[in-house]
Amino acid sequence: MVPFSTIKQGFMNGLKVTWELTKVVVPVYISVTILKYTPVLPWISKHMEPVMKLVGLPGEASLPLVLGYCVNIYAAIGAITPLNLNIKQITIIAAMLLLAHSLPMETAINKKTGVRVTGLVVLRLLVGFAIAVGLNIFI
Amino acid sequence: MPYLDIAREAITGSSLNVLKMAAIVIPLMIFVEIFKELNWLDRLTSIMAPITRLIGIPPEGNLPLLSGLIFGISYGSGLIIQSSREGKLTLEDIFLINLFLVMCHSLFEDTLLFAAIGARWVLILILRLIIAISFCSLMSRIYKKRRVYSVTSSNE
Repeated sequence: MVPFSTIKQGFMNGLKVTWELTKVVVPVYISVTILKYTPVLPWISKHMEPVMKLVGLPGEASLPLVLGYCVNIYAAIGAITPLNLNIKQITIIAAMLLLAHSLPMETAINKKTGVRVTGLVVLRLLVGFAIAVGLNIFI
Repeated sequence: MPYLDIAREAITGSSLNVLKMAAIVIPLMIFVEIFKELNWLDRLTSIMAPITRLIGIPPEGNLPLLSGLIFGISYGSGLIIQSSREGKLTLEDIFLINLFLVMCHSLFEDTLLFAAIGARWVLILILRLIIAISFCSLMSRIYKKRRVYSVTSSNE
């Protein structure tokens, strides 16, 4: 039988960790929400349009990609649906987004664990891009 | 008034996020304490040993790794924060767990979202696992080599 003190300890740890995460999540969430309503994301995605060709995606696919990178996967999927991509294209954009998404939020949380995060973000973006190039050639 | 709508979205969205985290983190932490109390960690370690040995993560990293893989980065990180508070993980271990989890996390939820719109999810899942394992084992080898060098140079 597990003593009650164990459960209480777990509960207290849970509260403390939730609080630590809250301190990161709330400011980032608020900033990203504001960012979503500025012209910044459409501006970035417009400049990314030429890059889309390299991975076999139409230019418009840069918007869901940027939304996924900066906001989250749900925002990205909402923007993918109206594009009428084929299975291959959906697989390519899915791979890019699964490797890199919600970057402000996830990176802030990574940083909270005490590591340097710049390399991690760059790596996620580069690996996602490399995989997309590979998928475009091989599938 | 669009500003009011944005403010409302920011407040309700972030509160919901915090509540969702609490709803997972608190039971998760209780589960971890029970796990430790019953000494089940050794059993988990032996199950995960083939992978963790490959990627150079010590047994103390199993729970953060597993909860990140299942629930997502926040929860893996939550457990890292807890374990590092207990002084069980080195900064190198923490970096390796982060490295693994940024490539490969929340395997059920995120994968399902893309499966729902028709992506070839099995292929992507396998690729993510291969990428995470390769980068992590490469990095842990670099760490190991560096440690050997620093020991030999301090002996001189």
